[in-house]
Amino acid sequence: MTETATPRRRRVPRGTPGTPETKPGEPEPEVAPESAPDKTPHPAPRPKDAPRTMRELRLARAAGRKRSARPKVNPLRMGLRLERVPDPSVLVLFGATGDLAHRKVVPALYHLWRSNLLPHEFVVLCLGRRPYSPETLRAEYRASLEKYSRVLPIDETAWRSFARRIFYERLDFGDPAGFDQLVTRLEHLDLEHGTEGNHLYYLATQPSAFAEIVAQLGRVGLDHERHEGGWRRVIIEKPFGHDLQSAIRLNREVGKVFRESQVYRIDHYLGKETVRNLLVFRFGNGIFEPIWNRRHIDHVQITVAESIGVENRGSFYEETGASRDFLQNHLLQLMSLVAMEPPATFEANPLRDEKVKVMRAVSEMTPERVQADVVRGQYGSGWVEGKPVVGYREEPEVDPESETETFIAARLEIDDWRWGGVPFYLRSGKRLPKRATEIAVQFKDVPHRLFRDASAEPEPNLLAMRIQPDEGIMLRFAAKVPGLGIDVRSVSMDFTYGSAFTVDSPDAYETLILDTLLGDASLFTRADEVEAAWSIVTPIIDTWANEGPPDFPNYEAGSWGPEAAHALVARDDRKWRRI
Amino acid sequence: MTADLEQPRSVTFMPGEEGRPVLAWRSRASSIEGIQTELARIWAHPTMQRDIDLDHDGVIDRQIGARTSVMNLVVVARRPETGERCAATIHALTGRHPSRTLIVTPADPDGPSWFDANIQAHCMVASETAPATCAETIYLTCGGESGRHLEAIIAPLLIHDLPVTLWWPDEPPLPTHVSASALEVCDRLVIDGSSWHGTGLTQLRRMAAFQQRRPVAISDFALIRQSRWREAIASVFDRPDVLPFVSHVRAITVTYAEHDDSGIEAPNLVKPVYHVAWLASRLGMRVSRRLAPESAGFSAALRNGRVEVPVTIRPMQSELPAGTTLRVEIQAAIQRSVLRADITAEQEAVHARVWLDDERILERGFSALRRTDLDLLAEVIETGGRDPVAVETLAMAAAIIGEAPP
Repeated sequence: MTETATPRRRRVPRGTPGTPETKPGEPEPEVAPESAPDKTPHPAPRPKDAPRTMRELRLARAAGRKRSARPKVNPLRMGLRLERVPDPSVLVLFGATGDLAHRKVVPALYHLWRSNLLPHEFVVLCLGRRPYSPETLRAEYRASLEKYSRVLPIDETAWRSFARRIFYERLDFGDPAGFDQLVTRLEHLDLEHGTEGNHLYYLATQPSAFAEIVAQLGRVGLDHERHEGGWRRVIIEKPFGHDLQSAIRLNREVGKVFRESQVYRIDHYLGKETVRNLLVFRFGNGIFEPIWNRRHIDHVQITVAESIGVENRGSFYEETGASRDFLQNHLLQLMSLVAMEPPATFEANPLRDEKVKVMRAVSEMTPERVQADVVRGQYGSGWVEGKPVVGYREEPEVDPESETETFIAARLEIDDWRWGGVPFYLRSGKRLPKRATEIAVQFKDVPHRLFRDASAEPEPNLLAMRIQPDEGIMLRFAAKVPGLGIDVRSVSMDFTYGSAFTVDSPDAYETLILDTLLGDASLFTRADEVEAAWSIVTPIIDTWANEGPPDFPNYEAGSWGPEAAHALVARDDRKWRRI
Repeated sequence: MTADLEQPRSVTFMPGEEGRPVLAWRSRASSIEGIQTELARIWAHPTMQRDIDLDHDGVIDRQIGARTSVMNLVVVARRPETGERCAATIHALTGRHPSRTLIVTPADPDGPSWFDANIQAHCMVASETAPATCAETIYLTCGGESGRHLEAIIAPLLIHDLPVTLWWPDEPPLPTHVSASALEVCDRLVIDGSSWHGTGLTQLRRMAAFQQRRPVAISDFALIRQSRWREAIASVFDRPDVLPFVSHVRAITVTYAEHDDSGIEAPNLVKPVYHVAWLASRLGMRVSRRLAPESAGFSAALRNGRVEVPVTIRPMQSELPAGTTLRVEIQAAIQRSVLRADITAEQEAVHARVWLDDERILERGFSALRRTDLDLLAEVIETGGRDPVAVETLAMAAAIIGEAPP
């Protein structure tokens, strides 16, 4: 009824000739259908049988409801883990023989399957360059599960039923004919397995292949969503671009084929339980928001430390370094979650709008500021976790004279009313003493020291949110030592998430893949968010490129980074929190 | 009340295996005041403190075993061994849902009034550097009049302003005076309908009536245990082409385990009835004929719109505990198309098989472990407020059972 009264508006894919370009993240342009009178601002004429009064409208709707006996949702799902299960679909895994597929993607899919969180009509079409048979690939995945599954032993029954849904096709991503064949293959899979034309393309490939694959998918029409169902979504792994220009280019290439709502850019940190809890902590508790600002907070420290080196990813890391591998995504994402304003709703776009605002408010990184406020480092040999380790330049696939940074520390400022003057210290590095991720919010000292005679001065309040390994939240405050005098000491109140032996938290990839299948983009980065992050990091990289060769290696493996990183904080009369 | 029986005795707290709670304090008292004194002393005792450099900043932090205050958990156990079993479950949850726990065992109701309290603290460290998380357990044995006025003992020992969960592991706490007094103080009642004597249906009806009268949230382990079944049954109708059948269910059959067919000891029927009640409440059905015994099992009838839906609950010889659900069969029809779903479960998996017009369209098994009391209690604690699905299921179960349970 309403469709006849108000002509439906249709969406025009971005990049359609004659349509105005929109910036990534902006609402899609809408145009009137051809039948509608484009030149006149008047609404379409009302059909004769259209309801005129509220009563007519109510009766018409009631009649409509009566006719549709088909339930739209499964009433038996109420109160269960998922109130809506993903639609039947094919997950097309590009780069299926690669490291990411073995370590993360396939174990995540297996766990979703064994937990009954995937639809029965679910198929994984694996694509890669290697001449594998499906059986070979399944055997490889099975072996990988033994190494990377978070739950052992493997449930053989569940694995067998899942493995039956894994198919393999050889595909050279630069070969157009291969994509033509892919269309036919997907049509067959849809028919055979009832997957209804829903396709999720997972680009677990080298970043250099992203644009090519997306272009080919567009060329053969595998991006087109159908009216009668049949959604098309694409997951793109980080790094998304290697600087601002390349990110803009890649966004443009992706945007020519897919609408922004079809694109899911993964930063797996956002799928972690504690990171998601950060939002609940901030916006689900009334007591923190009033003090979450420049008047009460002295500074914020965000640390993402890894004890491992580059392992067997030397060639990859040579092209990325800590700035691209961690600062551009994980660190800035965590910072934006700490600093963002409350979103209007807990939906993808309002959430991402607020994160983008934070990144855009970061002070411009001029060459002078980069020199003063950013420190880079590269590890030499040393001892980590009781074992001797080689320096970065001695790692496999690494240039012996490499200038790639394995450590970065930065002092950023967010120029807005909430955070003006509050420094955010971010650091990340490899071969640090331990693996730990933490956000520490240091509150300002008391304005008046009442207990001057106390034997030890209490430290200012501190709120630490540990993301890994001991997920939890710690609040440090002062307390009187029992006794006759007024001795004041700092004590910690610690909230620890369930210990690992009882809590079976899903892996971040499980959360994110499931969200993609359900069409929830809240935990994914939007195009403008990626570009805003690159606009912070690119000036840093450019400044370094214009400087002379760095004095690398400048920190010993197993230490907390170069001396300059400590000086960066000490300059403000502060110190890094030792984790 | 008498004076305290003995001096408090601390147990030197040596953090054990990570994630494993260890006894850190033990003492006794025989008055409410004595218990309160002991509770305060636990945290002041030197063995409960560690001076370590927690954040490695060169400053020694006094780490006190943190008493955590998630909630008050009260267990009313009729037998000491039941209390011990519950305590073991609760201690295993110390790191996850630490609570002040009161395990109350009424004894010798006709004797003189007395009570004895054994106060313990268990601590757990999640990792080497993490501070200890500690929780108190108070074992209370109440004799005579004291045991009849549990609220007078429980109320002063609760941590202020925290929710109170009452776990009643034995027969349902109705309608005795003892239970009524304990129920006065609780926000959530945890029961296990599958452990009740007889068919358990009389008790189930009482619980439904209680639910109507009081705004207490009731969590029944028997119903929570069935969530893996519910997931499997719901998954039958996830497919878009099968979903329309969910509104056209025409028959429900539940098969349960029975050890012998002598009929001397009636198996507990709470779980089979819950299956039917859940389906009926979710699908908006009404009861047209209440549950009644028939030659092999029980039967009832529901009304789905204008269609009568026969319900059969039938026994089958099995080595599994009596009353365990073995199979749920659902039949649905739209015009001449007939859908048949058959759900079965094993120790670690659930299987769903679906036929449409005799052609098998789905066969799926998925991992779904049978859950222990530990898992169930953890889930109950994590659930906030009344679960509308549970409320409606219990109400529907009572409607199916009727005034005079079979």
